Amino acid sequence: MSQSQPLTAEATRAVLTIGRSRRPSGSRAWSAVVLVLAVLYFFLPLVGTASFALSTGKVFTLQPLLDALADPDAQGSILLSLGFAVATTVVTVAIVAPSAYLVELRLPRLRSLLDFVTILPFVIPPIILTLGLEEVYGIHGVVNLVGSPVLLIGGYFALTLPFVYRAIDNALRAIDVRTLTEAAESLGAGPIRTFLRIIVPSISTGLLSAALLGFTTIMGEFTLASLMGYPTFPVMLNNTYASAAREAASLVLVAFFITWACVLALAVVSRRSPAARAVATAR
Amino acid sequence: MARLELRGITKRFGDQVAVAGFDLAVENGELVTFLGPSGCGKTTTLRITAGFEQPDTGEVLVDGQDVTALPPNRRGMGMVFQGYALFPNMTARDNVDFGLAVRQRPVAERRRRVDELLALFHLDHVATHYPHQMSGGQQQRVALARAIAIEPAVLLLDEPLSAVDAKVREELRTEIRRMQVQLGITTILVTHDQAEALSISDRVVVMDRGVIEEVGTPARIYAEPRSAFTAGFIGAMNELPVRVVSQREGLVEREGRRFAAPGATELPDGAAGLLLVRPESLQPLDDGAVARPGTPILRGRVEVQTFLGATTRLLLGDLARTDQDLAGTGAAADRGGSPEQLAVDVPSSAAARWPVGSELQVAVPLASTRVIAARSAADAAAPRPSTAAAPAGVPAAGGR
Repeated sequence: MSQSQPLTAEATRAVLTIGRSRRPSGSRAWSAVVLVLAVLYFFLPLVGTASFALSTGKVFTLQPLLDALADPDAQGSILLSLGFAVATTVVTVAIVAPSAYLVELRLPRLRSLLDFVTILPFVIPPIILTLGLEEVYGIHGVVNLVGSPVLLIGGYFALTLPFVYRAIDNALRAIDVRTLTEAAESLGAGPIRTFLRIIVPSISTGLLSAALLGFTTIMGEFTLASLMGYPTFPVMLNNTYASAAREAASLVLVAFFITWACVLALAVVSRRSPAARAVATAR
Repeated sequence: MARLELRGITKRFGDQVAVAGFDLAVENGELVTFLGPSGCGKTTTLRITAGFEQPDTGEVLVDGQDVTALPPNRRGMGMVFQGYALFPNMTARDNVDFGLAVRQRPVAERRRRVDELLALFHLDHVATHYPHQMSGGQQQRVALARAIAIEPAVLLLDEPLSAVDAKVREELRTEIRRMQVQLGITTILVTHDQAEALSISDRVVVMDRGVIEEVGTPARIYAEPRSAFTAGFIGAMNELPVRVVSQREGLVEREGRRFAAPGATELPDGAAGLLLVRPESLQPLDDGAVARPGTPILRGRVEVQTFLGATTRLLLGDLARTDQDLAGTGAAADRGGSPEQLAVDVPSSAAARWPVGSELQVAVPLASTRVIAARSAADAAAPRPSTAAAPAGVPAAGGR
């Protein structure tokens, strides 16, 4: 079951990509075909899962879903996953956004290095990442962080870095960072005010999609949590599946709804906020 | 509102010398324009003034205070950028208010001041619009209002009109000047548009390849350019090769004829010079009309007529000798082999008298001409010496 969880993150990415791309009208028919195929590919497993989870015999009912949610273990694991996802997202965005801004503004030469570093998590399997973390921060490591959630959040930071950095970097490149900064400076603003009052609002859509990508990735992450012994939602799903497949399927639906709520929230926010709209149009 | 002084500013980017030995004092309330082709160092000098670049050597002084070491946000200079650089996440009003908010002025004062500025720039009706909802001209006026809101010691305008269309450009140009005079703000404008420079400046600084070619009022620079570069860069100018035969008497020679021309006394005997004369200064001679004795006369065939509005420009080729000869075909060699041509402006109402193909004689009123040193071939080819500034008034190395 752990496999269908990363799928939610994939789906989110696909939705974002489709929403962003602007194709010439000639290839519209082709786009439609791809879209239909993608929808089938992503939705058929979901429909299958739903029909399996919610049908007892010939009757469809929401009862299995409610039962699954009422389970204290499930509630605990959902809250734990939410906690890790929120903490990681906040930490990652808070670190990456100013860093990407500084690199864009003052150290453009470091950009290729940063590009390389942020691809590393794609290349390094999570199991290697975990072993590496244990080596450095484990019982015999330089600093012993075993048992501290900081270790897992650190690992998650690395995992989400590619998505978060790329989303933020794209947003930064879409505005004229240098000139906007100089304009703010000439009006007397220091670097922190410039960043918070000018740059952040100008890339708010990019920050939101970065946060969403990070969030959904963590909500579906299995390997690190499992190896470090945290009963997060995916870990719990995996355990449940062996004993109660139907309950697990219900919980998968819950996971989908959480992700979709995020996507919807993002869409609403980026459409409603006049500032975000202004920035989007200015591009 | 302050006196700005730039002393010995030099800036290199790698091997490239962007600005070399730039000295200038801008008086309180003065509008000075840096004019030159792209890459002449005008924008670099402006950015050094604003504090966005550090000079390799030299100082920036505001009212005698050295501000070279201060970061841009503590210099109190208002800047208007080429592409407006309005904050896209803020309305026109919030853009103008930004500098005041940074300074933590009382809210009531801020509101009053922003209202004033929006009114001054006719922006009241777009106060709540975001930048993308405004026209280019409106955006540029917001950028101006925003820069002026902080009551800057010096206002810096970096090609502020290059992004708006021609009609709006002229309106805004006038508006900038009106506002600048009204508020008495010391202002530096950077432009490559000579019409813009001439129309609104108190003084123009002509720059080429990192050094000041000359500094002067628009009228002076237009009427008496002191270098071949300025002459070529500002307005249309005829350049006739001459040779100085007597510095003491101010005599030059062309094709065997000698005559006195202004400026010849500043060049050594035997120097190759250029006799500069504006197209509008040349006087067409109708049949039978006689020029004042001693006035050189040129004759040529009309090759092209260009309608410019009030005047029409005639391009004369086949320049030939006349009784009071000045022209000669030999001159073509001096100008890189291109056949010599002469531009003559005549009132459009009279242009029909000289259709293409007809012959025309023009008198060269020597009082409206000026002799300067010719660009030497070596000058044109060799790079400019990297650090030495051309001493003011000496027409060195104009070639491009």
